[in-house]
Amino acid sequence: MSREIDPRLLARLTAGRTTRRRFLGGSAAAAAGLTLGSSLLAACGSDSDTSTTATDAGGPASGTLRISNWPLYMADGFVAGFQTASGITVDYKEDFNDNEQWFAKVKEPLSRKQDIGADLAVPTTFMAVRLHQLGWLNNINHDAVPNIKNLRTDLLEASVDPGREFSAPYMSGLVGIAYNRAATGRDLTTIDDMWDPAFKGRVSMFSDAQDGLGMIMLSQGNSPENPTTESVQQAIDLVREQKDRGQIRRFTGNDYADDLAAGNVAVAQAYSGDIVQLQADNPDLQFVVPETGATTFVDTMVIPYTTQNQKAAKAWIDYVYDRANYAKLVSFVQYIPVLSDMTEELEKIDPESANNPLINPPQSVLDKAKGWAALTDEQTQEYNTAYAAVTGG
Amino acid sequence: MAEVAASSRQRSKIAPYLMVLPALVYLGVFFVVPFFTLARTSLSETSGSVFLPTLTFAWDFGNYTQAFSEYREPILRSFGYAFVATVLCLLMAFPLAYVIAFKAGRYKNLILGLVILPFFVTFLIRTLAWKTILADEGWVVSALGTVGLLPEEGRLLSTSWAVIGGLTYNWIIFMILPLYVSLEKIDPRLLEASKDLYSSATRSFRKVILPLAMPGVLAGSMLVFIPSVGDFINADYLGSTQTTMIGNVIQKQFLVVKDYPAAAALSLVLMLIILGGVLLYTRALGTEDLV
Repeated sequence: MSREIDPRLLARLTAGRTTRRRFLGGSAAAAAGLTLGSSLLAACGSDSDTSTTATDAGGPASGTLRISNWPLYMADGFVAGFQTASGITVDYKEDFNDNEQWFAKVKEPLSRKQDIGADLAVPTTFMAVRLHQLGWLNNINHDAVPNIKNLRTDLLEASVDPGREFSAPYMSGLVGIAYNRAATGRDLTTIDDMWDPAFKGRVSMFSDAQDGLGMIMLSQGNSPENPTTESVQQAIDLVREQKDRGQIRRFTGNDYADDLAAGNVAVAQAYSGDIVQLQADNPDLQFVVPETGATTFVDTMVIPYTTQNQKAAKAWIDYVYDRANYAKLVSFVQYIPVLSDMTEELEKIDPESANNPLINPPQSVLDKAKGWAALTDEQTQEYNTAYAAVTGG
Repeated sequence: MAEVAASSRQRSKIAPYLMVLPALVYLGVFFVVPFFTLARTSLSETSGSVFLPTLTFAWDFGNYTQAFSEYREPILRSFGYAFVATVLCLLMAFPLAYVIAFKAGRYKNLILGLVILPFFVTFLIRTLAWKTILADEGWVVSALGTVGLLPEEGRLLSTSWAVIGGLTYNWIIFMILPLYVSLEKIDPRLLEASKDLYSSATRSFRKVILPLAMPGVLAGSMLVFIPSVGDFINADYLGSTQTTMIGNVIQKQFLVVKDYPAAAALSLVLMLIILGGVLLYTRALGTEDLV
């Protein structure tokens, strides 16, 4: 049946401008096909046992580094620059489309400690934590990554990975509220504004439990930094109430942006990077961090324990963490830098991004952005199940 | 000589089996085996790590009672939507198939080609196109709004009607083609005969055309109804939070909640209800009784 269409192709066809997050749109349909095939895929996975894993010992990094990253998450010429600077050959693949999809693909080989075809991958924090808890990640020894000192301190000391032992942040973004000023006729500042009867049936929320519930919890005086069954349930109850009222039109993945751009929804939970792109076409679109706070997501570079070139992977991380190099990345992908004090370097190459509060947010905004705590598998399961009862039932 | 004859006789005995073999193997590998895995999963208990769960077979019928009690609403909604979509398909497809079969003359192939043409475009793109057509600020909504024909929500997209419309649109070809094949087979001399015997047009439709078209009606309705019940794309893209179908629930249980036994139980429940419905339907419309 034709529903097995490649979602990436679809995204390219349907979205004129595509950012990394939006690229994931429509993953539901494809993921269905993928899950069914995942066990087969896993079974066909590479069977080369990685007894040849390169060690940390002696000499500079060399050889080939295989990187698995999200589509459209790289700047032109960046990889070539690294190859010239380091002498390492990079096999760069944009084959990371969806955290769960990727996990379904690699869990079988990783559980048997078999090569997954990548020496470095870029999952979102929660997935990095899951891999770490399963014991599938190598530690990142900071001796070989001196530039890690450039990391934002809030990220360096994040509770999910204090000291950044197994995950190195790559890009971050905010999950906030986007609205179409022309449709709302006023500015929005709080979560309560989303429930204004004037916007009935024109509000969309994320179906992902963490992205969807985080800001709601903050508005109720709770925090995703230390979630409990009660505080999560309290947020879910509010969402259920609003859904039953007909206030919420859809629970979306990344496809919210289409509805927002087309004017079908006036208010949407949104990712900051998307709105930067959409504003170019529609200046009426606004992105706001609610007064009570918003959540932030961080995609991180991790080294699977099956890596064949640990040293080159660390050289790559160090290269990324150089401010001048990193500015090129930020200017291209338009997400929020994970390095501190980026304004100066950004201004040199891309003043527009440097002055955009959605790319280079002031500290006051960053202070309001909270990250989810590292959840245990059981918590993730519990929250996903409870929220799915509202979003899909 | 005798040997050759014997071996060719033998060959001709095996030949039919050889001919069905590929289909049997295919069915075995891609239907029977997954079906049993699904049935097994639906009766299993999970244990161990949440993300690498171990499924232990346990005759756990709790998954089924839970599937029924928790998701009665989306199950009923799915059957309601699929029923309405099937009826709409039938009402629209019958006149069209009739015209193609009896009245189109030399345009027959052209019209058939036009019917099939949209289906060269993939399912998802066609569905997403409806989002644009039905958009809140699109011309369809404003036109209907002017004449006061909008549903109570004041919009078309993200309503039950959009989902039913999407189902109807996406599956109607599976109603048109079988109907056309049945109608096309009708001998025009039968119609002439009924006219010669002073039958009115309505009466010859009721007594001659409809009974002879019944196999097409039956095949068409099943081809539309069955995929519609399990569909989740239309509800996902054209629906709202109030139009969740059982396909959406199953998808979510498999991919987000990762409760494989519950998802498998829901899938089987759906399959069994459809099977029961189809059996009743074929019995009621059993073509032998009507011809």
